[in-house]
Amino acid sequence: MPQKIVVIDDEKIVCDMAKKILENEGYEVETFMNSQLALERIRQQRFDLVITDLKMENISGMDILREVNHLYPQTKVIMLTAYATLDATIEAIRERIYDFFPKPVKIDELKKSVKKALES
Amino acid sequence: MTIRKRIIIAALVQALLICIICFFAYISFKAVLTKLRTIEVIDDLNISLLEMRKAEKNYFLYKDLEALKELIKLGQERYELLKSTRYYVEPGLHDWAKKNYKVLLSTLKKYIELAQLVVNSREAPPHLEDELRNLGHQLTTFSETLLRKERENVNVIINQNIKRLIGSLVVILLIQLVLWQYFFRFIIQEIGIMGQLIKMVAEGQLHEVAAKPISPHNEIEIAIKAISDMARMLEKREEELLQTGKLASLGVLISGVAHELGNPLNNISLIAQTYLSLYDLLGDEDKKTYMGDVYTQSERIKRIVENLLDFSRQKKQELREHQLGDIVMRSIGLVGNNLKISQVKHHLSLAENLPPVFVDASQIEQVLINLFINAIQAMPGGGDLFIDVFQEPGNEWVFVKVRDSGTGIKKEILPNIFDPFFTTKSTKGTGLGLSVSYGIIRQHQGEISVESEEGKGTRFIVKIPAIKTNKGD
Repeated sequence: MPQKIVVIDDEKIVCDMAKKILENEGYEVETFMNSQLALERIRQQRFDLVITDLKMENISGMDILREVNHLYPQTKVIMLTAYATLDATIEAIRERIYDFFPKPVKIDELKKSVKKALES
Repeated sequence: MTIRKRIIIAALVQALLICIICFFAYISFKAVLTKLRTIEVIDDLNISLLEMRKAEKNYFLYKDLEALKELIKLGQERYELLKSTRYYVEPGLHDWAKKNYKVLLSTLKKYIELAQLVVNSREAPPHLEDELRNLGHQLTTFSETLLRKERENVNVIINQNIKRLIGSLVVILLIQLVLWQYFFRFIIQEIGIMGQLIKMVAEGQLHEVAAKPISPHNEIEIAIKAISDMARMLEKREEELLQTGKLASLGVLISGVAHELGNPLNNISLIAQTYLSLYDLLGDEDKKTYMGDVYTQSERIKRIVENLLDFSRQKKQELREHQLGDIVMRSIGLVGNNLKISQVKHHLSLAENLPPVFVDASQIEQVLINLFINAIQAMPGGGDLFIDVFQEPGNEWVFVKVRDSGTGIKKEILPNIFDPFFTTKSTKGTGLGLSVSYGIIRQHQGEISVESEEGKGTRFIVKIPAIKTNKGD
């Protein structure tokens, strides 16, 4: 049974590339460009890992992180962001973020982080 | 011609007129004086003649030769006197009298000679005596007529002079009236132009004032030219200020843009990494799609950079017909990422069928971006930005209302917010944004106003004159 990952980013290319790479690693990947729809999906379905952008229209990555922590404390969250301000980073750490990737994302490191998150 | 020259010429003309009047008055008075002297001489003559006639009478009554000798003596004295005073008496005489004055002299001479003849002949024949009496009578009649006529003449001359003086006075007054009227009308006209230009400067129509072609010919025109030069300098300063204000906005925009660049860069980077790591697994179609995406993303970067460059460039004012809605949308595009970073949601309401406006798009963009940035900065924890573009029915303006849900502006400082260098952002602000915006909108014959309530938000209303379109056609 492959592990389930959801990728949320309002950039289509981020979703597409993450899906391609992670599926190639053997995971089952769902992508959402709309964070509202993603949150609704998360509420129905438990994922093993959530990869989300921080700043998005509608619901922010931080809101998703809080919701995931609340619903599924075992699910890890990796955050991608183009705006890695210190405030946002501290807040994410307080919300028990698993990993934090500034854009542009290095795929090898992301892959390593995903692997580690799902092994533990 | 300079005003100084005009005044000098007017004064000279006046002085000349007065001199001419004085000259004529002088001549008239001199004529009167001569007349009076002549009358005096004739008057004396009259008295002498009367005495001579008295002597003549005595001779005829008493045959007194001594009386006749007295007559001769008196006559000779008078004749000599008349001869010696002839040079100044004669010019004062009436034309009629001039001719007869000679006759008078010769008659007097004849009278004396006749009296001498009577004295010498002892027993004078009666015809000689008759002739003597006759001559005496002629002389007195003539002299009395002359005196009367000359006296009348003096009256005529004096009356004439009075009329002439009053006439010249009236003429001088009329000339002065016309001259000063012309002169003041000219000055008032020039001052009127000056006032109009100053008003235009105050209204911010610097370009029109600066473009006024003036080659100064007088002091007021020199002042007008100075106003025009001042407008030119102010226009230059305003351009510089405009650019400074723009650069201040640019500082804020750039942080947004830098972040905005992050996404396409990240996309390109992801595509490249995926392409490299999955190269063997990718089909030809996939590879083509990836390269197409790289191209699209690089175009996106180019567009972002171009927009920013376009905004930052210093441009000459270029008024054209534009749809205000288009400018508003472009401005929102430029601050799009600032809105996103600050978690500010914008709500644009754009009325349909708005008339166009005649504006410099880049300057209006600068105003709007400034208003948007201010609104974003007034909502540090995120919020809502409402942008309405509309027209009121029957109104000749197009409005842009920018409303935020931010901290609002304190009542005390509300009247100062359009002042240059006034800022509430301490070192972060230049205090130029709104003052430059105000200048830009005024230059477009528009208005910018503000309403704010502390804690609730601020609303800026920009109104710009609409171009009249003939919808009825």
